[in-house]
Amino acid sequence: MTDIDTTTGGLRVEIVDAGVRFAAPGGTLQALADLTLEIPAGSFTVIIGPNGCGKSTLLRLVAGLIVPTSGRVVVGNAPPRAGDGRVGLAFQQPRLVPWRTTLDNVALPLELAGASAVDRRDRALQALERVGLAGSSRLRPRELSGGMAQRAALARALVTDPPILLLDEPFSALDALTRETFDTELQRLFLERRRTVVLVTHSVSEAVALADRVVVMTPRPGRVAAVIEVDLPRPRPPDLLGDRHAAELAARVREALSAAHALELRPWAEQEGAA
Amino acid sequence: MRRIGAALVSLAVFLALWKAITVVGGYPEFILPAPEAVGERGLRAIGSGLLWEHAGVTLLEIVLGFAVGAGAALLTGIALGKSVVVERVLSPYIVAAQAVPILALAPLLDIWFGGGLLARVVICALIVFFPIAIATMVGIRSADPLLDEMLRSLGAGPAQRTRLLEIPSALPVIFGGLRVGVTLSVIGAVVAEWAGASTGLGVLINIANQGLFDTPLMFVALATLAVIGLVFYGAVVLVERRLVPR
Repeated sequence: MTDIDTTTGGLRVEIVDAGVRFAAPGGTLQALADLTLEIPAGSFTVIIGPNGCGKSTLLRLVAGLIVPTSGRVVVGNAPPRAGDGRVGLAFQQPRLVPWRTTLDNVALPLELAGASAVDRRDRALQALERVGLAGSSRLRPRELSGGMAQRAALARALVTDPPILLLDEPFSALDALTRETFDTELQRLFLERRRTVVLVTHSVSEAVALADRVVVMTPRPGRVAAVIEVDLPRPRPPDLLGDRHAAELAARVREALSAAHALELRPWAEQEGAA
Repeated sequence: MRRIGAALVSLAVFLALWKAITVVGGYPEFILPAPEAVGERGLRAIGSGLLWEHAGVTLLEIVLGFAVGAGAALLTGIALGKSVVVERVLSPYIVAAQAVPILALAPLLDIWFGGGLLARVVICALIVFFPIAIATMVGIRSADPLLDEMLRSLGAGPAQRTRLLEIPSALPVIFGGLRVGVTLSVIGAVVAEWAGASTGLGVLINIANQGLFDTPLMFVALATLAVIGLVFYGAVVLVERRLVPR
């Protein structure tokens, strides 16, 4: 893969005029419309927006799980294809296979890529170590706490060391303290390897704490409402509340969010089909 | 140990009730023989080789019929579960074939398949097929769509998703179908024998009942069928314990 950025090991993502339309009961549902966004290689991008604005749809586009109805998506210099190894995806739920051990769950991407048993074991253990879960490799998912299960899911996304990491609100179900720990660790993982990271969240403070750029989306059909550069130095402490510049940035994100929210009330916000 | 004890107690109670009914009712032996008369007749049938001559044939029919029927049902059930088109095209025929009384079809099938072991295996397999195919279809569809999407995001194709997700998710339901199917295979073998065979426990029932008026011998054949059913059912449960993820 010659299109990997040599200084960061990440890949660039380009989305041009992308629209996604789903069949829905009683018509169609326009999830995204004319969405244009460039994500530089090795950057940390946070996507934020109201519920149902198509944030998850955007990640699925980049993961190659769906193809745009219009426009185009380019990862590196080719359209993404699910399983092409360029993207690691962690979902909102851990989605671990219940009858596999943690280790075998984490090794699943390697298994599908045809890696040898020894290789799978070694690399899965390394990935578990990176997320601090090496001691739980033999446990089954039902024996893991919610936070541990999300760590395992993160390890599964990291195990192939993909140039792009897509995270769909993976910490949203965790309590505030656990979540803060996760954010700190996520930043550490990012600084370790400088892959391209795209994180979807609802939390403004999380967005400012982690992002190089915060992308604010409009309600459905999702478009980019604003892009806010976060020029705070790294590594950032978990608690940015005392930082004046951070507070300003958070205020700007919040402002852009409420401006985007207001669009929902406009008649031309073409809400098609059922929600 | 405790489970075996419970089984022995319940068997003793069953035999005692049976005995009590024959004593109180005073029925002639050709209506309802006493348990010890059946036991004694059974020992004689074992000693003369008569029981094994018939039971061996029926066992073979059951094993082959169940294997063929269950194998075909698993493959069909996976296809039905994975493809709505396949289900729409095939399911009317499968349901219709199940609704037609196999007793009526069996003599025809016996002629079509040459009247030998093959014909009896086909009839037995046909009876076994339905519950296992339906259970497999339902089981395959019970796979978690979130896990399916996770696997697709990792590039897993349809065959890999079937192997890694759908079949393991379906196993508990499939084994429900296999438990029903394995008991039906015993009935299937007997029905097939009635359609035209010279050996087998079904044949022995007919000979004892209608030819010899040897009701104790008929009970011996019935008891043997019951034991075969129990043993095969137990075998399915044992395999289930080993295979079903929990």
